[in-house]
Amino acid sequence: MQKYLGIKEWSATLRINHWAVAISIFILIATGFYIADPFTIYKGETVDKFFMGNVRFVHILFGVFLIFLSIWRLYLAVFSRFHADWKDFLAWTDLKGLVQQIKFYLLIKGHPEQKYLYGPVQALVYSGCWGMVVVTLITGVILMGAGYHAGLTSVAYFVLKPVENLLGGLAVVRYIHHIFTWLFILFIVVHIYMAFWYDAVLKQGTVSSMIGGTKFKQIKE
Amino acid sequence: MAKGNNSEYKKMIDQQYKDLMKHCELHMEQIEKDLPEPREDLHEILKDRGFSRRDFIKWTSAMTAALMLPPIFRPLVAKAAENFGRIPVVWLHFAECTGCSEAFLRSSYPNVDTILLETISLEYHETLMAASGYQAEQNLQKAIHDFAGKFICVIEGGLPRGLNGKYLTLGPKGKTGIEVGKEVASKAAAVVCIGACAVNGNIQAAKPNPTDATGVGRALGISTVNIAGCPPNAVNFTGTLLHYIMFGTLPPLDSLGRPVWSYGKRIHDYCERRSHYDASEFVEEWGDKSALKGWCLYKMGCKGPYTYGNCSKVRFNDGVSWPIMAGHGCIGCTEPAFWDTMAPLEKPLDEKTYGGGEKTVDTIGAVLTGAAVAGVAVHAVASAVRHHQSDFFKTAPTSHKDDRTEE
Ligand code: HEM
Ligand code: SF4
Ligand code: SF4
Repeated sequence: MQKYLGIKEWSATLRINHWAVAISIFILIATGFYIADPFTIYKGETVDKFFMGNVRFVHILFGVFLIFLSIWRLYLAVFSRFHADWKDFLAWTDLKGLVQQIKFYLLIKGHPEQKYLYGPVQALVYSGCWGMVVVTLITGVILMGAGYHAGLTSVAYFVLKPVENLLGGLAVVRYIHHIFTWLFILFIVVHIYMAFWYDAVLKQGTVSSMIGGTKFKQIKE
Repeated sequence: MAKGNNSEYKKMIDQQYKDLMKHCELHMEQIEKDLPEPREDLHEILKDRGFSRRDFIKWTSAMTAALMLPPIFRPLVAKAAENFGRIPVVWLHFAECTGCSEAFLRSSYPNVDTILLETISLEYHETLMAASGYQAEQNLQKAIHDFAGKFICVIEGGLPRGLNGKYLTLGPKGKTGIEVGKEVASKAAAVVCIGACAVNGNIQAAKPNPTDATGVGRALGISTVNIAGCPPNAVNFTGTLLHYIMFGTLPPLDSLGRPVWSYGKRIHDYCERRSHYDASEFVEEWGDKSALKGWCLYKMGCKGPYTYGNCSKVRFNDGVSWPIMAGHGCIGCTEPAFWDTMAPLEKPLDEKTYGGGEKTVDTIGAVLTGAAVAGVAVHAVASAVRHHQSDFFKTAPTSHKDDRTEE
């Protein structure tokens, strides 16, 4: 008989944050691609239609959600009472561990000792992903500010206008925003695969841990 | 209470406008004292060209509104227009096609703005003046000497910096554009760049930019008023100059040196096809049914969403039309490096290609995503094989030491 020891891996707040970010990004990718390459709606009168308007509304709404979710996640990384994991994002600085981890992924050598919450490669990719979020948020807010000149948006736009000029204007900003959308898609493919892969090979319940919060460890009788 | 506050506020605003008007009147009196009479009387020319007094008044109302001033300023705008010919102007041509001068001065539908430009006191303009060679050079020297610190230097065209600026030499002494620019700009009251070439180099500065051309401001390291566009609308120049005549200062500029009153909003924000954009009604092909209905040109490459300008409001050729009204998308001509950043001009941005081929960011993205999916599939199979071969995965990682509670 095998026995499993449950270890609480993720706090409830972190899990809620994770899925809210995931849903937001899925919606942002779908609506974003529509904005980039829309199809025409031929049926009906112009006055009755507002499809692009609504898509843009949803995109910007979830964009603003993502801003607050990111701030919340940053807060959790630094101040979480369960486990503030900002140090774990730096696991890749352990270069020897990084090489060992890559060897494990290439199925050359067994799993190295895990010193942080995230493996070295995982930490590198997650840090990169949050970097991508920051770039997308900044370019998104610039695009939002270009079309809406009131309230906090206009303040943010005023602050970010030099960034727009530095990048070379709104067209470049929009293009960068578009390129990063593809990077998110690549991240999602690899991220989901790795979660299931870990689940399958180490049998610790990696996938379900982000829902229930608990990882399981086999212990011998 | 709110009402009381409102009247307080109204009083304050009224006072501010009164002060501003006073300032404006004083400044114009000063100009009338300091600067010579206009060579030609504006009203005479207008009459010659068949413009009525009424047309002129209509124009002053429009201009007052365009400059974001309340209607009480209308007579002052009229007076400033009469004084337009007093401001001495030195008009330089650098690396460009003279299209801006042509567009301003040879319009087939002249309006008050273009006629106003004819009254301008051009001390030096290479295209229009009769003098050439040494005589022209003398005129230039005389103008910048006689009106030092008072004249407006208008520059059309960018500056090539390659070969020490020798890609552009001018005049009998073969001075480089940069030398001429430095000399004249240093004596001018203000430098106004007309057109995308002077503002940021335009097509000469587009990749690969063999002559290392750029805008006047950057090449000379000075701040300039940038009337962007290829060509810009004459209104944006006359309005800016009228502001200068009225208040003695340049109008507020955006972070790229463009007057806010004309470049403060995007084309997309004031486009007459915008309701079709929001309704997802797009032209899909030149001349299709949607085009006949005047639907949005986004999918035909319209760059209105990325472009600041007032074309939709002031239009061209005496308000007859403007590009999007005529059925072609905006190409973003008021924006820096627009040949590079707005390309392809007749397709949406995401169809920008790489390596001279068909590779757009979307094809590259899709291929990479496909590769990633294939990659993980291969990895999954390899993992399964490894799993059956040995106890490769049996060595579960020792959990990291941390502060988390065990349940
Ligand atoms: C993961 C996050 C995001 C993704 C994947 C994403 C994706 C996209 C895409 C593909 C486009 C179309 C670009 C093009 O035309 O080529 C777009 C446009 C835009 N995005 Fe995002 N976006 C994200 C986050 C945000 C955020 C956080 C904001 C702002 C708060 C934002 C605001 C905008 C705006 C304003 C536009 C332009 C829409 C318009 O004005 O027509 N986006 N986005
Ligand atoms: S035609 Fe161009 S500027 Fe006008 S609504 Fe469409 S995209 Fe915007
Ligand atoms: S519509 Fe666009 S491309 Fe055309 S003149 Fe105006 S800013 Fe330039």
